[in-house]
Amino acid sequence: MSAFLIRRLLQAAVSLLGVTAMIFFLQRLTGDPVLLMVPEGATQEAIDALRSQLGFDRPVMAQFADYMAGLAQLDFGQSIVQNVPVVDIVGSRLPFTIRLAMAALVLALGVGVPLGVFMAVRRDHPVSRIGMGFVLAGQSLPTFWSGILLILVFAVWLGWLPASGARQAASVILPAICLSLLSMATFARVARTAVLDELSKPYVRAARAKGLPMARVVTRHVLRNGAIPVISIAALEIANLLSGAVIVETVFAWPGLGQLTMQSIAARDFPIVQAVVLLGAFVSIFLNLTADLLYSAVDPRIRLEGGK
Amino acid sequence: MKRLHCTLLAAALAATTALTAPAVWADANRLAIDLVNEPTSLDPHLQWNPDSYYVYRNIFDNLLTRDDAGQIVPQIATAWEQVSPTEIVFTIREGVKFHDGSALTPEDVVYSVQRITNKDFGSPQLSQFATIASAEVLEGNKVKLTTKAPYPALMGQLVKLSIVPKAVVDAMGKEAFNQAPVGSGPYKFDGWDRGVEVRLTRNDDYWGQKGSFPAAVFRAVPDASTRVANLVSGASDLVVTMDPDLAMQLEAADGVGPRSALTERVAYLAVNGAKPGLDDLRLRQAIAHAIDRDLIVEGLLGGFDKPVGQLLTPAHIGWVEGFEGVPYDPDKARALIAEVGEPAKRKLSFATAPVFDQRIVQALQQMLTDVGLNVEIELTDMATYLKKVQGDPAQSPDMSFGRWSCACQDADGVVYPLLHSSSSWSRVRNVELDKVLESARGELDPAKRVADYRKVQEWIRDNVSQVPLYQAAIIYGASDNLKWQPTPNESLFINRMSWSE
Repeated sequence: MSAFLIRRLLQAAVSLLGVTAMIFFLQRLTGDPVLLMVPEGATQEAIDALRSQLGFDRPVMAQFADYMAGLAQLDFGQSIVQNVPVVDIVGSRLPFTIRLAMAALVLALGVGVPLGVFMAVRRDHPVSRIGMGFVLAGQSLPTFWSGILLILVFAVWLGWLPASGARQAASVILPAICLSLLSMATFARVARTAVLDELSKPYVRAARAKGLPMARVVTRHVLRNGAIPVISIAALEIANLLSGAVIVETVFAWPGLGQLTMQSIAARDFPIVQAVVLLGAFVSIFLNLTADLLYSAVDPRIRLEGGK
Repeated sequence: MKRLHCTLLAAALAATTALTAPAVWADANRLAIDLVNEPTSLDPHLQWNPDSYYVYRNIFDNLLTRDDAGQIVPQIATAWEQVSPTEIVFTIREGVKFHDGSALTPEDVVYSVQRITNKDFGSPQLSQFATIASAEVLEGNKVKLTTKAPYPALMGQLVKLSIVPKAVVDAMGKEAFNQAPVGSGPYKFDGWDRGVEVRLTRNDDYWGQKGSFPAAVFRAVPDASTRVANLVSGASDLVVTMDPDLAMQLEAADGVGPRSALTERVAYLAVNGAKPGLDDLRLRQAIAHAIDRDLIVEGLLGGFDKPVGQLLTPAHIGWVEGFEGVPYDPDKARALIAEVGEPAKRKLSFATAPVFDQRIVQALQQMLTDVGLNVEIELTDMATYLKKVQGDPAQSPDMSFGRWSCACQDADGVVYPLLHSSSSWSRVRNVELDKVLESARGELDPAKRVADYRKVQEWIRDNVSQVPLYQAAIIYGASDNLKWQPTPNESLFINRMSWSE
């Protein structure tokens, strides 16, 4: 177990280093933010002065060395455009992303998984047929469209909820619904397939033959065995949700990381993009590791290498 | 499993509580304005973007300002006198107080000039003030600015010079000041929730026209449809950056409507005469004759914008009254292209960026295709576009779309950077034209300046370095209750707005 952990942690460190270097150089290949910052018609002299003030006239390797030296001391640098430490900016956006991601996740799991299980157990029920339509819609409707539709109905026509922003507690509801639709459909589909798979196995027939009611077979045996694919998908979905939902955050003006990333990429605010990507990579790696550990907890047949 | 049930129940309860919370979003005491993005910086010397400008311009007073008619009028300077071709003496208003209670002095004015013109400070606005050689305090509450050469456009630039308190900036430092700015303007900085909103409160001790709203809030709402939804549902009172289609939607909705003004932005099609094929004047003339600017304005821009025949707008000093550009004449364009022959068949690159209205770019492409040219649109992000249209003309795209604003309402800020050989924004290298541009830049006699600019516009028309298209309009959406008229310099002065009752 510990050997497994150490190896995975080392792998994670190498991945993070690779991501850092890659994003650093890729961004600089696209130019620098100076031309975006100056007014139209700025003289070359003024452009050069700003470029040198921001350090973009220095060799890229020297810039990289500086960045890595800062990173080693957990200094993520300063936003080029906003003149504020990156940690402050990302730190102010992170709670919003977490809040939205958690709200969406609760909705997606809370509706998606029970729906999927129901669709598997009662395949011919009308609700299951509607459910399949819902899964298809959830996976194919673009969020910019469903987002605008939600705003039109609940903010403009009914006036129940705010269309945008994050000032009120109710502000999270519309973006969370919009964001959860895709995950909800994914969970429903995966849960349905997993449960269907399990239902065809001999132990289910044996349990039924023994006289156990269907509900008990599902809750006691099938769900536990069918949880593995749901857990691995959940890890991916959480990572997706936490790295920021660009379109949903833009449509609902939700001040999360997705919106920040988009704006920072457009403004060539390198240190912010760098920090957000690094955070996303970290969350992804961490969640995958957690999922691996969870497998063995749920299914005793899965033993981690090096474990006893 | 039991625990999961509890969590779900709690979540459902939380959702219901939120739903039953009172839905009060509008507040008569607070003006709510939706911007596209949040300000990048509220230090007026450290930014150059509209979302920052809209906000900080209410917190700070500038040396000069413009009234609603666009005339330069006193703000911190009450009077000014050109004492020599390169020296102007400004009288500084007495009794002005910064929001921390300290008095605004001539020293603060000099400090502000020195701060923004200091190369090591790194102001994006350096080029607008780079002609200032020195600033000094004179006896009797006066400040003298000396320019490196005679520069009549300086007054238009000084409209953008915000006065910051020297003592506060020195004490707080650059980073802290940008997050909690202290100015002398009609509204005070109240708070900034990153990514959500910036709040201002009224400065009740303001020396000038006081605001009618006790408070104002600027929110970042990147999606235009969402801004419309906020306005229609009453969550905001004023929203920025609407297009003609959204303006029509607003006209159809109750209680709200579009507000627009013609700005000092001029849209143009730049033609790069340094590229093979386009070095033939006939081909450039064909391009100019192929463009129907009236159709663009009426058909695509909903009539909000105004066609222009010169590379300028009526909002600029240097506008030549009655000047006509190259007329729309597709038959003549076809004849010229036939005359040019083989070189006219080359594929011409046409650079644009997502910030521009792509329908205009596509319409231009279509018009050029209709007369027999082969035009390929190159759409890249803004940073790449700017890099492409700058620098060596031989490496630049064949054509590019642009909407130019110098934010100074002076011809010098438009034609000098776009045409002078020394400018990286210019595709033109012409010694004679350079002389006219230099003469116009330093000419203190307004009539002689306009005469120089007429020569420049004639040169543009005859050589087709650019095809001027239209004076761009800015469209806002506003509640019908809001009394306010937008201005050409795209300002949102809250103290000039009120509820109409």
